[in-house]
Amino acid sequence: MIRSTGRQRLLSAVALASGLTLLAAGCSSSSNDEGNDGDAPSTAEARTLNVWAGSQTPIVENFNPYAPGVLHAALGGVYETFFVYNKVQDDPPIPMLAESAEFNDDGTELTVVLRQGVQWSDGEDFDAEDVIYSFTAEHVKRDWVKSVEAVDPHTVTFTFDGPQFTSEFALLGASWLVPEHIWSGIENPIEIVNENPVGTGPYIVDTVSDNAYTVTANPGYWGGEPAVSEIRYLGVDQNQTASDLLTSGQIDWATMFIPDVDAVLADGRLGYLNTPQDPTVLYTCANVDLGCEGPQTDKAVRQALNLAIDRGEINEKAFVGLAADISPTFALLGRDDHWISPDVESVSPQTADVDGAKAILEDAGYELGADGIFEKDGQKLELELTSVDGWTDYNDAARLIEESARAAGIGLTASTVTWQEFSDSRQSGEFELVMGGVVGTSVADPFQIYRDWFSGEYTQPVGEILQPGEWNFSRYDNPAVNDAVKAAAATNDEAAKQAAYATIQEHIVEDLPYIPIVINATQTFFDTSDFTGWPTEDDTFVFPPAWSNPSSGVILGKLAGQ
Amino acid sequence: MKFYVRRITFYVITLWAAISLNFALPRLMPGDAMSTMIARMGRSGDIPESTLRSIELLFGNPDESSLWEQYVAYLGQLFRGDLGVSVTKYPAPVTELIGQALPWTIGLVGLATVISFVLGVGAGAFVGWKRGTWVDSFVPASTLLQAVPYFWLAMIFVYLFAVTNRWFPIAWNYDPFSFSGPELSWAFVGSVVYHGTLPALTIVISSFGGWLLGMRNMMVATLSEDYVTTAEAKGLKRSRILTTYAARNAALPSMAGFSIALAFVVAGSIVTEQVFSYPGLGKLMITAVQGNDYALMQGTFLVITIAVLAANFLMDLIYGFIDPRTRHNG
Amino acid sequence: MAKDDIRDRETVTPADVLGGPTRRRGLTDFMPRKSGKLLAGLVLVVGTLLFAFLGPLFTQNPRNSDNPALLPPGSDGHVLGTTSLGRDVLAQLAHGAQGSIMVGLVAGAIALVLSLIFGILAGYVGGWTDEGLSAFTSVMLVLPGLPLIIVLASFAQQSDALQFMSRSLWLVAIILGLTAWPGAAIVLRSQARSLRVRDYVAASRVAGEKPHWIIGVEILPNLLPLLAAQFIGAVILAIMNEAGLAYLGLGPSGSITWGTMLNEAQTGAALTRGAWWWFVPPGLMIALFGCGLSLINFSIDEVVNPKLRTAPAAVKSVRKAAKAVAEDEKKVEA
Repeated sequence: MIRSTGRQRLLSAVALASGLTLLAAGCSSSSNDEGNDGDAPSTAEARTLNVWAGSQTPIVENFNPYAPGVLHAALGGVYETFFVYNKVQDDPPIPMLAESAEFNDDGTELTVVLRQGVQWSDGEDFDAEDVIYSFTAEHVKRDWVKSVEAVDPHTVTFTFDGPQFTSEFALLGASWLVPEHIWSGIENPIEIVNENPVGTGPYIVDTVSDNAYTVTANPGYWGGEPAVSEIRYLGVDQNQTASDLLTSGQIDWATMFIPDVDAVLADGRLGYLNTPQDPTVLYTCANVDLGCEGPQTDKAVRQALNLAIDRGEINEKAFVGLAADISPTFALLGRDDHWISPDVESVSPQTADVDGAKAILEDAGYELGADGIFEKDGQKLELELTSVDGWTDYNDAARLIEESARAAGIGLTASTVTWQEFSDSRQSGEFELVMGGVVGTSVADPFQIYRDWFSGEYTQPVGEILQPGEWNFSRYDNPAVNDAVKAAAATNDEAAKQAAYATIQEHIVEDLPYIPIVINATQTFFDTSDFTGWPTEDDTFVFPPAWSNPSSGVILGKLAGQ
Repeated sequence: MKFYVRRITFYVITLWAAISLNFALPRLMPGDAMSTMIARMGRSGDIPESTLRSIELLFGNPDESSLWEQYVAYLGQLFRGDLGVSVTKYPAPVTELIGQALPWTIGLVGLATVISFVLGVGAGAFVGWKRGTWVDSFVPASTLLQAVPYFWLAMIFVYLFAVTNRWFPIAWNYDPFSFSGPELSWAFVGSVVYHGTLPALTIVISSFGGWLLGMRNMMVATLSEDYVTTAEAKGLKRSRILTTYAARNAALPSMAGFSIALAFVVAGSIVTEQVFSYPGLGKLMITAVQGNDYALMQGTFLVITIAVLAANFLMDLIYGFIDPRTRHNG
Repeated sequence: MAKDDIRDRETVTPADVLGGPTRRRGLTDFMPRKSGKLLAGLVLVVGTLLFAFLGPLFTQNPRNSDNPALLPPGSDGHVLGTTSLGRDVLAQLAHGAQGSIMVGLVAGAIALVLSLIFGILAGYVGGWTDEGLSAFTSVMLVLPGLPLIIVLASFAQQSDALQFMSRSLWLVAIILGLTAWPGAAIVLRSQARSLRVRDYVAASRVAGEKPHWIIGVEILPNLLPLLAAQFIGAVILAIMNEAGLAYLGLGPSGSITWGTMLNEAQTGAALTRGAWWWFVPPGLMIALFGCGLSLINFSIDEVVNPKLRTAPAAVKSVRKAAKAVAEDEKKVEA
């Protein structure tokens, strides 16, 4: 409480000092936002929670869960899914609009038992009709879903054209449920703005302006009316600005990269969680058969580079020591440990092994030239590594990689390109090395990375653009891996999956179509002096970012003032 | 009269050329909206396949019509005032976004430019008039100011006066914590003024020196013209010489510069608005360029084009008025 | 009244105006005698140039990242400390000076030539040439420079012919030059149009002088201060624009300039991390170098256009005299 009084004083002092503030911000920010007699902690009503979820100004009204550019509060805050999956730790999914869900043995049928007593925010009951609409309407239906039928008003059965174990997350954790009685009357569901969304979630949209929008607590929420009565989602354009606002107490919940964590946490107001999720790698165009060109198509070069990189230094200098160690198996260390085969190295080397790198190249027939760069058949071992200009951490990491590679005799040159060039080159496969990211999986299972990034069915020949949903930029196509991915997809048995994963891991650790660097930090900051209910280090019950959905809805439903 | 007809014809032709270039430029740029949008969303986590599907439905049909058909359609849309729908700010129509942003830019950057011009030219006339006194030391001082990189100064100002000392707001054009949208009240006006003060101050500080120097030089040169000497010899009042003889003639180049500066108010605000997160046209343009948002890019281009042309036209009129020789020989 | 008389200008030199003894226009005539401004300007510019070209001899490799990160100034032999990657700020500053000055000079030269062609030629010749050239100038003027730069850069990236300089320092300099001239051209054109109807120009036209002679001899000298101002202005502008571009993440890649330093400092949150020694020096260098150039520009102005110098001096002496008279009168009264 001392803290909050201190801030109070500061605000008034500022108001007096600037004079103009008295007119504008002064009165309001001191009277609304913080209860003046907040000395009795438990009875104080929670003030408005200010969130930056990544929206930029001007904020454009869009609460349509099917439209690109939908505002964050709509997903999780207004609309909900059957379950929320925790991508931080290996937990069972949190039931939201479903009580339970079960596949039949061969994975061709899924039965979902709906939560009872849920009402849409307009007072109508939530039932099987809504589910059927949400999965069969023209704009959302999937080819492989043969039918969605109501067994009774609270039980729904999905039938598929084959085993769909791997679609569990897509169906249960990433499909929004919308009210049939409203949406069935809408002609072009993906084009509407949906000003007054009717959902089942903890909040209801209140006001929208170009700088911010607010949502208020849904009194009829099935989980009980949220204790924080109003949430304001702000539009902020730059990380720097957001971090200034966070430091000065104007933002209570934000997820962004902040190099100097201690400075932000100094006044003790904020709690902090770093939940590294997304791998940073070097994409290598690895497959000559699909048209890749350059020295990196030689496995030995990729292996040598893998050893030459000083990951410890890269993390320390480019990622300010906030990134986590990466596993060459692309399973998330800590969360997916039981999926990592005992036969492979589970963590990528953290220091540079110059001699090891040189030895690999020498064994592969390269000779060290007079200028300290290897050659083979008169060809210098020269490579270009690009990164997107302005992605500072990547630019810095690339520069450090250039230095360590050259120390090992690999003539690597780091350069920066525009985002568009980056996107074009990785889509078309016309690159040698690119500093890039891999999207971490949404459930505690690396399967999605194996299928989308490593299997031959998710790529195209060099020169052709990858289709939406295909992420195999390296053009890697290994029959053994492809088969193991298919085997893993067809089963729900842990041992069988482990066996398949072991095959995949054995190959990708050896072939290195993506050279692992680090796992990117995901830093979330939240106000713990006025609010409770946040995920903690010990109990990270959901992925904590403010922009993450539907997980942010779980947090919104739990928050309370103090 | 012939002068004006000629000028108007000229501006109509220029406008057409600019519009056509406007049409061509974004089409020279690589990348299409769909893949841009997908890849962009992919950076912050995986895209649910339902969203992928929506994006495909919305943007997946690249325009197959011929370039000429596209051009005709584009001109037709322009005449109807339809600038298309923004991709980065989906589903907002471009006209709405520009309409929202333009007043803020004109208000902030326009006002700051006028203030800076009036102060700078006034001070320049004064310094030129008082040439040879201690006032001359204004020259090196404003030279230094003029050479300071704008965003550098602005960021230091933000750091010193908004972050370290919380005298001014860090972002926005008004206080989003107290107002849920623009409203007609003194408190709101106060909030707008409060939020605009620091950005305006940085604009004035960094551009004031240029006006001062330009005006001072022209003033000094003009004051030693024979006709001014003659006027002095005739015993005219010094104030009359200053305003009617010297300042009016010395201001000609400054006026030309001013109209250009005014025209570029809309474009020149990019960096200011970026540093202060001020939701004007400049920031909209950066959003558009970074997001390969062709419709929005063309829209902002168009507004700037029209602004510059209008200002040039105005300059021609004013020049013709102040310096009649231009009119007869134009 | 004519601004200047041809006869006068053939015989009268600035030295005459000052009452100096020589009648030949030697180099010394171009050197204003007591000019604090020129001296200050020269000190700043020459100092920066020396720093740019000698500095790298005494500093580390600016890309060496072996030092500890974010060392404050003075520690461990790093006069200006280190960046978050452990690079020596002083070394970067010296190499950045080279890059920035190069961008400025190349862009300034391009802009000057183009504004001469499109401004003076259009303004003097008039008629359809004027219409054509100023139409082009107007179109160039209305194309917002920044997006144009991005388009050009990405175009250059794709074109094989320009591949060798994609997003390089040179490309940025050329593009800045190509987009910087229309403003100057319009100002020059207005002036030229005003000048071409002056009596002395009309007189030489009547006398049958060729247009290029009239432009070169009658018009250009009158515009020299403006031209000098435009060139030096263009250099300063290019240096500052390069920094601005870099701020928006569009600066040259692969080279070190003051702009790219500022960009790195800014994205590395130098200010919030308290690393002022990383953010402040590049901006300060730009300001000081630009200021030095402007001051030199001023002194050139005063040489070319003696009125700028003589007028204040004359006023000063008149005032001194008046003061003396007043004091005499006072004495008399006393």
